[in-house]
Amino acid sequence: MTTALIDTSERLRDVLNRLSSMSVEDYYNPYQVFDWPDSLPQEMWWMSPELTTTHGTEIAAELSQEQLYRLSKYESVNFYSLNVHGIRELLIEVTRRIHTDEFATPSEFFHHFIGEENEHMWFFAQFCLRYGGKIYKQPRGGAETIPPSKAASLLVFARILIFEELVDHFNSRMALDERLDDTIRKINRIHHQDESRHIAFGRELVRILFEGFREQATPEELSQVSDYLGRYMTYSFESLFSPQVYRDAGIPNPFEVRRRLLTGPRRPEFEAQVFRKTHSFLTRYGLIQAPMAAPESAR
Amino acid sequence: MRQQTTAPIDQIKGWILAKHENRTDVAADEDLIDNRLVDSLSFVEFVFLIQELSGVEIDMDTLDIGDVRTLAAIQKRFLAG
Repeated sequence: MTTALIDTSERLRDVLNRLSSMSVEDYYNPYQVFDWPDSLPQEMWWMSPELTTTHGTEIAAELSQEQLYRLSKYESVNFYSLNVHGIRELLIEVTRRIHTDEFATPSEFFHHFIGEENEHMWFFAQFCLRYGGKIYKQPRGGAETIPPSKAASLLVFARILIFEELVDHFNSRMALDERLDDTIRKINRIHHQDESRHIAFGRELVRILFEGFREQATPEELSQVSDYLGRYMTYSFESLFSPQVYRDAGIPNPFEVRRRLLTGPRRPEFEAQVFRKTHSFLTRYGLIQAPMAAPESAR
Repeated sequence: MRQQTTAPIDQIKGWILAKHENRTDVAADEDLIDNRLVDSLSFVEFVFLIQELSGVEIDMDTLDIGDVRTLAAIQKRFLAG
């Protein structure tokens, strides 16, 4: 059913042809496009302050300007580290599906997607290792969160879309932020340009995959998908709040700080800003049936 | 800070029970992962809680998952002594 929907969608075919052409026309050599200065200035913002997890909170009010700059540096390294881990996961899933019967139609575009994501992973890792001295690790484990088995591909591409839209919220703003160093702005600008294509593709594919799923799903299965996506958005948002970052920035009691931020008054507003477009898309097509999920940290 | 009067292992148990309203208890030797009490979306919070309560930093590259599979294993590896 889903295969038929993918193969017969004129709209998807048009999107794939247009995006594949753009990928070819806009192609750049990532290994030559960055200058990579030996170091970046420490006494400046590394991430737009409005995008840092402490912005507008009582925690930020307790920090000096120097500490805020330092925090923005490690928050940015955490942000790019999340990109590295997220890209690894999506590359595994897309590679698993390229040139299979179910995904024959988008496979040509998958080649561009995989190639571009590999290159993004490279420059994000370069940034972390050159200027942060490390890639932050991400705890991974626990039981697989089991969605309805028929929804496996739908949830893979919905997760990819959610992740890309979260990242793009940051990229699109930092690309234009003149308070940031040119290298930082450039990484964000280039990623934003490529991701605009990936997001356009992801929205189209997720819409079609959900259409196929909904035709056969029970109300309970639809509810499970909605719950899962809501939890995944919460999980993704909360991964921006890293105790290791707060520790590296010299902030005492990093776990308590994280908890205060996640339960504080700014969190709902920040989360709504990050997922405004994503939540609107998922709600419009019925993938999510309710408001934002309860925080993972408070469930 | 979290309540100081509650033993750390009971705080971990309380955290699990709060996520599973159909449960009233978690046995010390019950496999938290096989029994789906900790899933992939709650694992990060779970690890952070163990680190906070134990004061032990967990390196995800070297973590033996067996050390966090049961409350007894967590007590032995992270909270004893």
